[in-house]
Amino acid sequence: MDATPHILVVDDDREIRELLGKFLERQGMRVTVARDAREARRVWPLGRYHLVVLDLMMPGEPGLDLARWLRTQSDVPIVILTAMGEETDRIIGLELGADDYVPKPFNPRELHARIRAVLRRAPGGGEGRPKEPPARAITFAGWVLEPARRRLLNPQGTEIPLTGGEYELLLVLLDRPNRVLTRDMLMDLLHNRQAGPFDRAIDVAVSRLRRKLEDDGRNPSVIKTVRGGGYVLSADVVKT
Amino acid sequence: MTLLPRSLGGRTALVLILALMVVQASGLGIHALDRVDLQRLAQAREITARSFGVWRTAVLAPPAQRMRMIADLDLPDGLTAEIGETPTVTPGMPRPPINVLRLFRLEQLADGRPPPPPPDMDDHRPPPGMDDRRRPEIMGDPPRGRLPPPFARFAPREILIANNGPFGFLASLQLPDGDWVNLRVELPPPRPWHSDTFLAAFILMTCAAVLLILWAVNRLTRPVRVLAAAADRLGRDVNAPPLEEGGPTEIAKAAHAFNTMQGRIRRFVADRTQMLAAIGHDLRTPITRLRLRAEFLDDDEQRRKMLADLDEMEAMIAATLAFARDEAAHEPATALDLAALCRTVADEAVDAHPDIAERIGYAGPEHLVLRARPVALKRALSNLVRNALVYGGAARLSLGAEAGTVRLAIEDDGPGIPETEIENVFQPFRRLETSRNRETGGTGLGLPIARNIFRAHGGDVVLRNRAGAGLTAVATLPA
Repeated sequence: MDATPHILVVDDDREIRELLGKFLERQGMRVTVARDAREARRVWPLGRYHLVVLDLMMPGEPGLDLARWLRTQSDVPIVILTAMGEETDRIIGLELGADDYVPKPFNPRELHARIRAVLRRAPGGGEGRPKEPPARAITFAGWVLEPARRRLLNPQGTEIPLTGGEYELLLVLLDRPNRVLTRDMLMDLLHNRQAGPFDRAIDVAVSRLRRKLEDDGRNPSVIKTVRGGGYVLSADVVKT
Repeated sequence: MTLLPRSLGGRTALVLILALMVVQASGLGIHALDRVDLQRLAQAREITARSFGVWRTAVLAPPAQRMRMIADLDLPDGLTAEIGETPTVTPGMPRPPINVLRLFRLEQLADGRPPPPPPDMDDHRPPPGMDDRRRPEIMGDPPRGRLPPPFARFAPREILIANNGPFGFLASLQLPDGDWVNLRVELPPPRPWHSDTFLAAFILMTCAAVLLILWAVNRLTRPVRVLAAAADRLGRDVNAPPLEEGGPTEIAKAAHAFNTMQGRIRRFVADRTQMLAAIGHDLRTPITRLRLRAEFLDDDEQRRKMLADLDEMEAMIAATLAFARDEAAHEPATALDLAALCRTVADEAVDAHPDIAERIGYAGPEHLVLRARPVALKRALSNLVRNALVYGGAARLSLGAEAGTVRLAIEDDGPGIPETEIENVFQPFRRLETSRNRETGGTGLGLPIARNIFRAHGGDVVLRNRAGAGLTAVATLPA
């Protein structure tokens, strides 16, 4: 990855475009801005972008169509800006392959943190082959996690609500099944935003998640404790 | 008037059934009177005929065997006969009224004249009374002893007659040898209900009519119930399907009016929602700009405060939008583990307020599955927990199910709410004066949104002050 990631910001509001550009540049990123889908298509071949920040609500061509088009071009990570409460936009965006979403009005620092996290997760940095579409459902040990809807269904099909922390932890574990993850690795992968780096936070999150998964804490079968400080998700994970 | 049924159908059915009973009772009465008359007439005829039989037997039998032969006769109810040396009727006894004499066709005796000739049991002429052609002959002047043979020898020497009860008489007829045949006539009480089949048929008919009335009333009032159910549905969901505009004219008209009203309400709500959404939408851009601008402020203190203000503004917009959109109405219902939801909300509260973690908790079953809208219900629950934490410094959730109702309680340790305000706080933008400060903030929409969501689920939420200290929010859901 380059030292300075190149970000394409697509937003119809001139001031937001420019302010966000300035803000991200101050955080050490290179920024190109586009006012709408047409301009985005025009500037797309001119640079090599590591990430696209895309406002879904734009006049002219809808942001979702642009996201679809971008997906045919490359596997560049996309962070979408959705209207508050527009659940359907968010779900469609994530199902289309957006990597994350931030509701508008957004907190610039949070957006920056999300961009960082997505860049860290995307190894290629926007290069090469269009990547496989994201999973609609992740099945493990009879359970189903639907990432776009952020919901977990137990083997009986009942929705089991998760806290934000539990969901993130489960997603990280499901991405790396049958691999031992130390607490440090988990802290890192969880790009923990507010809480301090306490090992205990991970342990609490794991024990809560086990309870939700009806995984006996003393004799766990899904999330196993590894001696020496780590956890492993022990199950066949199928993404569909 | 506590006996009057509450429902329209019940009242209509009651009136109709009462009317039916009156009609049936009078019909039955008329029928019974008719039957009583007929019965009396038939009995009177029989008694008259048999009396002549008795007389004939008495005349024909040898005097020694008379008593036994009379006793051997099988006489109908109401007629007794005996032979005596003296008449039971003594002079001075009242004479029977004319209507009784008419009944027994003894009008001729009304003025003390001799009775009509007895029918000849051996010939095949109809019994007396049935053949009116004979009447003039009798009514003429049938003097004693001048009766044509074979009647002449049957004529009694003397006939005494006296009253006996409302429908009876005593008669003493002197035989040629001087003995008396004493007849006691007393019609048995009439039995108009004598026929079992008649009563059964009557009861069956009445039951059938009552059932028919109940069915018809039920059918007629069904549209009213449908209308009530539709109004109830509309109260919960303005997008409920419209009523079917069929059936009788009045019902179709009512349904049409109802559908028109629902359409207007829907448009009104949609306009309002549209307006609020537009405001929310349009505010997004300036708030985003302000957020970005704040990042370029050099004064850290000012930046922090400005961002806090913006957070507050955003929270208010989010709550207003959520309230206006009534998100619960659009989210599909699914099987949801309410116990897991309670733990989730409690855990998130602990994460947000680690300093009072020991005062946040959940007590209840490990699992409790019901059909609900997960996102909406989580919002409702989070609002209640947030209120408990902000105003009461604690949030202890408990869950229980009893008699088809799930009861969810959230206790806090706060000062509670004055009883006069305990319902008012559910009104949008209503906040207690004491809470209108920046520390607690709040939009005044948390409770109304929570109540809307619980009600959209067919439940409700109320607040209760606890005797000791603190407030309990009690939410109910149909299991």
